Amino acid sequence: MDPRETLRIAGRSIRAHRLRSTLTVIGIVIGIASVVVFASFGASVEASVIDDIGGTDANNVYLLPASTDDEGPAGGPGLGQPVFTQHDIEQLREVKGVETVLPRGIVQLSAVEHDGQTVAQRQATATTPATFDNDSVVAGRGFRQGAAELVINERAAAAFPGNLSVGDEVTLQLASGDRETLTVVGIVSGTRGGFLSSFGDVQSRYYLPTEPYYRTTTESPTLGVDQKAYPQVTVTTAPTAVQSARAEIEAYAAESDATRLLPAGFEVVVQTSGDVVEEIQDVIDRITRFVTGIAVIALVVGAIGIANITLVSVTERTKEIGIMKAVGATNRDTMQLFLTEAVLLGGIGAVVGVPLGLLVGFGAAVYAEVSFTLPINWIVFSVAMGVTTGVVAGLYPAWRASKVDPIEALRYE
Amino acid sequence: MTATESTTAEAVVALSDVRKTYELGGTVTALDDVSLSLAEGSYTAVMGPSGSGKSTLLNLIGGLDTPDDGNVRVGGQNLGAASEQERATVRGTEIGFVFQTFNLMPRLTAVENVALPLVFDGWDRTERLDRAREVLDRVGLGDRYDHEPAQLSGGQRQRVAIARALAPDPSILLADEPTGNVDTDTGAGIMELLAEINNAGNSILLVSHSRRIAEHAERIVHIRDGLIEEIETVTPEVA
Repeated sequence: MDPRETLRIAGRSIRAHRLRSTLTVIGIVIGIASVVVFASFGASVEASVIDDIGGTDANNVYLLPASTDDEGPAGGPGLGQPVFTQHDIEQLREVKGVETVLPRGIVQLSAVEHDGQTVAQRQATATTPATFDNDSVVAGRGFRQGAAELVINERAAAAFPGNLSVGDEVTLQLASGDRETLTVVGIVSGTRGGFLSSFGDVQSRYYLPTEPYYRTTTESPTLGVDQKAYPQVTVTTAPTAVQSARAEIEAYAAESDATRLLPAGFEVVVQTSGDVVEEIQDVIDRITRFVTGIAVIALVVGAIGIANITLVSVTERTKEIGIMKAVGATNRDTMQLFLTEAVLLGGIGAVVGVPLGLLVGFGAAVYAEVSFTLPINWIVFSVAMGVTTGVVAGLYPAWRASKVDPIEALRYE
Repeated sequence: MTATESTTAEAVVALSDVRKTYELGGTVTALDDVSLSLAEGSYTAVMGPSGSGKSTLLNLIGGLDTPDDGNVRVGGQNLGAASEQERATVRGTEIGFVFQTFNLMPRLTAVENVALPLVFDGWDRTERLDRAREVLDRVGLGDRYDHEPAQLSGGQRQRVAIARALAPDPSILLADEPTGNVDTDTGAGIMELLAEINNAGNSILLVSHSRRIAEHAERIVHIRDGLIEEIETVTPEVA
C-alpha cells in the first residue's frame, strides 16, 4: 500500500478526533519535553563544570604519592612526603613532549608580617618561576630563582588591611624560627600546575623560589647523594602530546627515586586533568541519567496513552476495518494504517516536545547561570523515543486491527 | 438440470462440493456439499430464509471465508488453498461487494471511497482518482465526487458503493440485499442500474429474500438448510 496514502488516511482519522488526539499528544509532549529538559540541563551543568575545572590545565600531568589500596582517601603518611628528588625532576625534563617540570615543595610558616600587621599562615609553596603564566599574573611578574622575591595570590593580598601590592616588603616567620624578608613582585589569580588550581581557590597562597628558600633534602637512591626533594610534581606537556608523555612518565615513575623512597603501600600516581575531569563528568553523567530516567516514566505514561487511544480507535473503527478488508486490504495494510496513526501521534509529540524541552532547559540553564549546551544525542534520542513509543504503543492495537474478522466486522454496528 | 451442466460460457465462479460448518453450541452445517457455477456475464440471484446458508455462500465466493471442504474458484483462483493475503488480493481485484448497509468509509469522499480498492491494489493516485470519477459518472453521480457519505441520500450512497465495487473491474459483483435499506422507488433505480451493469457484460450474484427483487436475475438459486433446493430460470416478463 502506498505509504503516502497510508499517511493521508491516518492523518485524517487523527484530525477527525481532534480533542482526543491533542490530549494524547500532550501526554507524549510532556514525556519527551521532560527528557529533553533534564538531559539538556544536565549536559549544560556538566559542560560548564568541566569548563571551570578543565580549561587551561588540560595538558597538565600530576605526579603524587597515593595509597595502593583503594580504601580511604589518598592521604596518610605517604602524601606530602618529599619523595620526588632533583634527579627525578631532571629525568622528567628529558621525557619527549614535556615542556616544563614544576616541583612543588612546602615551606612551613607560622606567620606573615607586613607593616606591623601579623597574619597567621601555615605554609608557603616553594616552586620555580615557570609556575606563573602570563594569563594568571594579575599584577607585577613572577619571581626569579635565587632572589628574595615573593608572589602571592589575590586572596593573600587581601588578607592585610589596605591590601598588599607589588613592591611591598613582607617578613615570613618560618616554622624553624628563622625570619626572611622578601619583596612582593607579583600577584596572581592562579598558577600553572596547581592541582585543579582554578577551581575555587579560596586560600591565601604564598609562592617562593625554591632557591634559596626550599631546603628539604633526601638521599637519592639512584645517585646516593642528598638532593632537594619535593612532595608533588606537575609536568606540563605540549597540548598534543599529553597522552604519549603521560605513558612515558608512568614508565619512568615506576623506577623513580620517589617510588623507591615511598613506604610500602604507597605508589606514585600519574594523573592528568583529563582523569579528574572524567571522574567528575562521570558523576554528573550518572545523575543526569538518573533524573532523565525518571523523566522517561512520563514518556511511558504517554505511551500508554497512545496505546489506549489506538485501541479505542481500533474498536470504534471495526466496521471500517471490515470494509477495507472487503475491498482488498491485507492484514499488513490494516496493521500499517493503525501503526502509522500511533507513530504519527508519537512523532507529533516529539516535534512539539523537543523544542519545548529545549526552551525549558535553556530557561533552567539561564536560571542556574550555566551556559546552555545543546545535547544533540539526547535530542536524536528523544525523537527516536517518540517514534519508538508510537511503534511500541501502536503495535498491539494494530495487530488487533489486523486480526479483525471481516465478516464479523461488517456486521458490527 | 444442475448448475454445473448449464455452463456454456466460461465460469467466473465455480463451487464444487463445498462444505462449511460452524461450531455454535453444536455443529451447524451452513453449506453441505454445494456445487454451483456462475457463467461469465450471468446474473444470478440466491434466495433462501435466514440461516439457509446464503450468507455463507456469499462470504465464501467473496473470499472472506474459507470452505472446510471442496473448491471455490473465483476468476481462476482456488480460494480454498489461498493464503489470507492472496484472498485479500482476490477481494480487491476479482470481487466487487455491494452491501445492504452500503458500508462506505464515513470520512472519505465519494471519489476516495470508490478509489479505495485501487489503493490496496497499488494504483497510482492520479490513475485511481481518474478511474473513480469515471465509474461515478457511470452510476450517475458525476456531480457528487467530493461529497462525503453523510451528505448523500441512501440511494446515492448505494450508487457510490456500486461504483466502488466496479472500480477494479472485478470478475463478479456480489450484491447482498442491495435494496434492503432504501425505499421502493430508490430500490427500483438501484435494480435498474444493476441490470444495466449486467447488460454491459459484468457478472452479478444477488442475494435477496424478496422474490420481486430476485426476479431481476436470469436465474434464481433457492437454498435451504445448506443445500441447493432448486435452480429456477426466470422467464423475462412481457409487460
